[in-house]
Amino acid sequence: MWRLNVGCSQALKRSVRRLPKESRFFNSYAKPLAHGKPSWKSWAPIGGLIIGSAAGASLGLFGWDIRNDEFASVTTLGELESPRYCQDKGKFDEAITKLKEILKNDPECYSISKADLDSHSDSYFGTHHATEEQRPRIVLFPHNTQDVSEILKICHEYSIPVIPFSGGTSLEGHFLPTRIGCTVMVDLSKYMNKILQLDKLDLDVEVQAGVPWEDLNDYLNEQNLLFGCDPGPGAQIGGCIANSCSGTNAYRYGTMKENVVNITAVLADGTIIKTKKRPRKSSAGYNLNGLLIGSEGTLAVVTEATVKCHVRPVKETVAVGSFPSVGAAAACTSRIIQEGIQLNAMELLDDNMMQIVNKSGATYKTDWVEAPTLFFKIGGRNDNIISEVVGEVKRIAEKHGCHKFEFAKDDDEKLELWEARKVALWSVINEGKAKDSNINVWTTDVAVPLSQFSKVIEATKKELKDSGLQSAIVGHAGDGNFHSFILYNNQERSKTSKIVDNMVQRAIDAEGTCTGEHGVGIGKRKFLLEELGEAPVDLMRRLKMAMDPKRILNPDKIFKIDPEDREE
Amino acid sequence: MISKFHVLPKQGMGHATRMMRQLRCFSTPPKYNEGLRRSTGALAALSLGVGVCLGLYISYVPHSSKQVFPLASITPLHELNPPQYGSEEDLKNCIIEIQKIIGDNSVADSEAEIDHHTDNGFNPSKPLPHQKPRYVIYPESTEDVSHIMQIINKYSIPVVPYSGGTALEGHTYSTRPGIVLNTSRMNKILQVNVDDLDAVVQAGVGWQQLNEHLSKQKDMENLMLGCDCGPGAHICGMVSTNASGIGATRYGSMASNVISIKAVLADGTVIKTKQRPRKSSAGYNLTGLLVGSEGTLAVVTEVVVKLQVKPAYEAAAVVQFPSVNDCTRSMASFFKSGLPLNAVELLDSDMMRCINYSDLVTKKFENMPTLFIKIGGLNRIIVEEYIKEVKSISQANHCSSFEFARSAEEAEELFSARKNALYMMLDYGFNEISPDAKMWITDCAVPLSRLASTLEQLNEMMKEYPMQHMVLGHGDANLHYDIFYTPDQYEMCREAVDRMAKLTIANEGTCSGEHGIGAGKRALLETELGEDTISMMRKLKLALDPKRLLNPDKVFKTDPLDENTK
Repeated sequence: MWRLNVGCSQALKRSVRRLPKESRFFNSYAKPLAHGKPSWKSWAPIGGLIIGSAAGASLGLFGWDIRNDEFASVTTLGELESPRYCQDKGKFDEAITKLKEILKNDPECYSISKADLDSHSDSYFGTHHATEEQRPRIVLFPHNTQDVSEILKICHEYSIPVIPFSGGTSLEGHFLPTRIGCTVMVDLSKYMNKILQLDKLDLDVEVQAGVPWEDLNDYLNEQNLLFGCDPGPGAQIGGCIANSCSGTNAYRYGTMKENVVNITAVLADGTIIKTKKRPRKSSAGYNLNGLLIGSEGTLAVVTEATVKCHVRPVKETVAVGSFPSVGAAAACTSRIIQEGIQLNAMELLDDNMMQIVNKSGATYKTDWVEAPTLFFKIGGRNDNIISEVVGEVKRIAEKHGCHKFEFAKDDDEKLELWEARKVALWSVINEGKAKDSNINVWTTDVAVPLSQFSKVIEATKKELKDSGLQSAIVGHAGDGNFHSFILYNNQERSKTSKIVDNMVQRAIDAEGTCTGEHGVGIGKRKFLLEELGEAPVDLMRRLKMAMDPKRILNPDKIFKIDPEDREE
Repeated sequence: MISKFHVLPKQGMGHATRMMRQLRCFSTPPKYNEGLRRSTGALAALSLGVGVCLGLYISYVPHSSKQVFPLASITPLHELNPPQYGSEEDLKNCIIEIQKIIGDNSVADSEAEIDHHTDNGFNPSKPLPHQKPRYVIYPESTEDVSHIMQIINKYSIPVVPYSGGTALEGHTYSTRPGIVLNTSRMNKILQVNVDDLDAVVQAGVGWQQLNEHLSKQKDMENLMLGCDCGPGAHICGMVSTNASGIGATRYGSMASNVISIKAVLADGTVIKTKQRPRKSSAGYNLTGLLVGSEGTLAVVTEVVVKLQVKPAYEAAAVVQFPSVNDCTRSMASFFKSGLPLNAVELLDSDMMRCINYSDLVTKKFENMPTLFIKIGGLNRIIVEEYIKEVKSISQANHCSSFEFARSAEEAEELFSARKNALYMMLDYGFNEISPDAKMWITDCAVPLSRLASTLEQLNEMMKEYPMQHMVLGHGDANLHYDIFYTPDQYEMCREAVDRMAKLTIANEGTCSGEHGIGAGKRALLETELGEDTISMMRKLKLALDPKRLLNPDKVFKTDPLDENTK
């Protein structure tokens, strides 16, 4: 506080010092007024007003409220007032009319059907669910960036909350319409789902935000290329960027942060920006790609992007090894990384998960060893290289107590083996639903430094086991990132939530993060605060307020923007 | 009083500005009125009362609405008023307070120090005569920097963060004579986490220092930093310009090699962007925002960097081609086939002539366009498989010679020709062109497919100029098209460089692949990205640094009175 005080008094002092010089300013006004000099009396009311205002203002400045420091670099929650969204029915309807006009009043381009409103508020997989009232008023389906810009101009003018939506597969309530009765959902998946241009030589492809990553990947596969990230099924590029997603491939190709060349986005006031042209690397200006990736639709609506493609490995095989403990498996992955062996993926499935894989019959075999298991994806130029790498991996695995190391004999087997990993979440849910049709699943993730990986997993496993809840753990071992899938019924929600709390706490204590790839949404806001402390979150809030002063873009996500917000 | 207050930034307009602006409305000339004069006393009293209420209201309104910012998402330059910095007296007081905190020894204003921090001699455009710092201060910890920034903020003194001082585009010029904050004494390697493959280092640690440290420790000798930019660069500067280098082809630029940043904001707030997870989706990517911000958003004080495992086995190859086109075609084929190369460097025939001229390498090459390639792998068998492929692709593209190092020393020497290219060029220029010949180092990057045509267009364009030039390119299609010029050719060279950058931009590229914008490329950045994108950056700048103290006038303009055309 003292800083501010001093800052202001400095400003005042400086101005006072300059007073004599500026008094000329007044004189120039005085000249044409009258032939003679105006008497002091004529100045009195004005003088009074000025002195009075100055006095009042200084009172206000120094006496009553000194929290709001206009020269600060951060914005605390306390210094904000609640955002004021459009609550006037007439105004809102007027805005809706205008929004529909933008979309040429085409009934295909908007929807107010219950089914659409429901599906755009919540998903079964989410950890946080919308209440009955938490529904958007309308879902809009724009055709292009220009539409989105026009929509945002209207929403900005009328102070209407806007939530960008594409695949709707996020897990932490990212698109939950917290602002009841006034939220507009902008769904890019219906029309903005085109792959615009592939440049095979440059290894990049320009896409619209509503392209599902699997479609993109299938398309690229035909060209012998692949997309570097492989998040949950159904995710679309817009959401991938918003959450800085990754998946099993991240260990090899990086997360979304490493896979985006440029972004076209619409800012809160409708301004369209494009962050870069198409150079493979750039040091030109602020890293706006970096800022927008992971901003969860709170800073801008991503409408198009150019993403990198990678060349598919000429040959690839999958190897599987089971280990006596999660710790041993984790140590094995660490060793592989330490030795500089570059694999394409390293995935850890715990004993529970393997049991479920067996039971579900999702793969060609149902007699997997029900022990912690590592799946390795090994790529190379030719069979010679692959067999060299497999040999190295096997040597290290066996050193860490691996008692069964096998690798796929042919392509079908390879696909099936990997399938066991990809369908993990679904297998868990099916398993749960078989027992109780009302069962819920809590899917959560954390990431820690590599050396802490096994310790944090072991502790989490133990707690899960003690709780009696059915659960499974899968991990992207190469990145120190793991997921827990926990099945719970309605009575067990608070118990589950407590376990998740502890898991995240453990990750934070181990110098990790509360989320490696899912994002914060509304479910992990308190953990973000715990992970980073007040100052970085206040800085994020500052950025938010600068980019979106009316707080209309995906309100209440990542951190609080409303001092009246009582949610955790 | 009024006009001066009016110069406060409109952005982040708070009570003081609003109050004064309001005041100005009331200071418009009063209409002469008989009635007014008669009841002057009463009116004065009344207006005093009204004034107090008004003043309170004005100062309260910004609080109650608490809208710190104007409602747009961007800040065009013309919306701003010029920044207002502290006076001479403020600067003196500021330094006195800083001295109290970090001691007299850490504050320097000797001529030598000032000169050293004015210009490093590599920048083609020189600072104006008055653009000299007044003081250089040497903090030794994040706490020092935080205290210093609080004081600097209090007195509104412009400050330029500085460390290695190797930037090439006037990044460290004191456009507003003030303070240079030199973090080079913060040079401790705090922690190397071998098992996590990361290291915690202070801002002033040099990348070579870090690599040397790692190579001397028993269990760390196989680790290194992925980025290898110009010699002498410090980690914080590399973060600030998103530096890269030869290793970027394999390991990416700084943006991909930083896990977390500790930084001090303009008001002294200390933030740490992350702990140490390898990946994270938690909240805004502040790490990403600070990388490449050139000291205009915060002072970087500590960084957690990723460490890369050196390839267990590495070979180097030098391949010469009859034409640059053959080189670029081969490069495209390498990448298209997915060969995992650790480095691919392109040197044109002029550059090769310069290398042959130099006595820094014992080996002689033909004066032909050449690719320097590093191939790494788990063991010899694997690397040899790769070499076979590299060779067959090169041959398909008419290479005239294909040589690869048979020993680690030989590989080292082959590559030293590339690594020392800068000094060789300077040498060559000095001896062969003119003792006062200078080199203009440019830095453009294009999509890979445009590399060949861009180079052709550039060469064609350069035929119009009498200046010699050499070309060095990184595998990620990042070109350094370096031009020799004598002082009388400065303007001509500037024009050529400008055209060159515009040509790159027209080829969907960027005016800076790894050096950054600094004071030298602001206009080009605007050409590249357009006004709105720059205005968004300006909005971010003003949100984080409302007084515009941190490295003023870099990356883009923040002062509407700034008439510099660069």
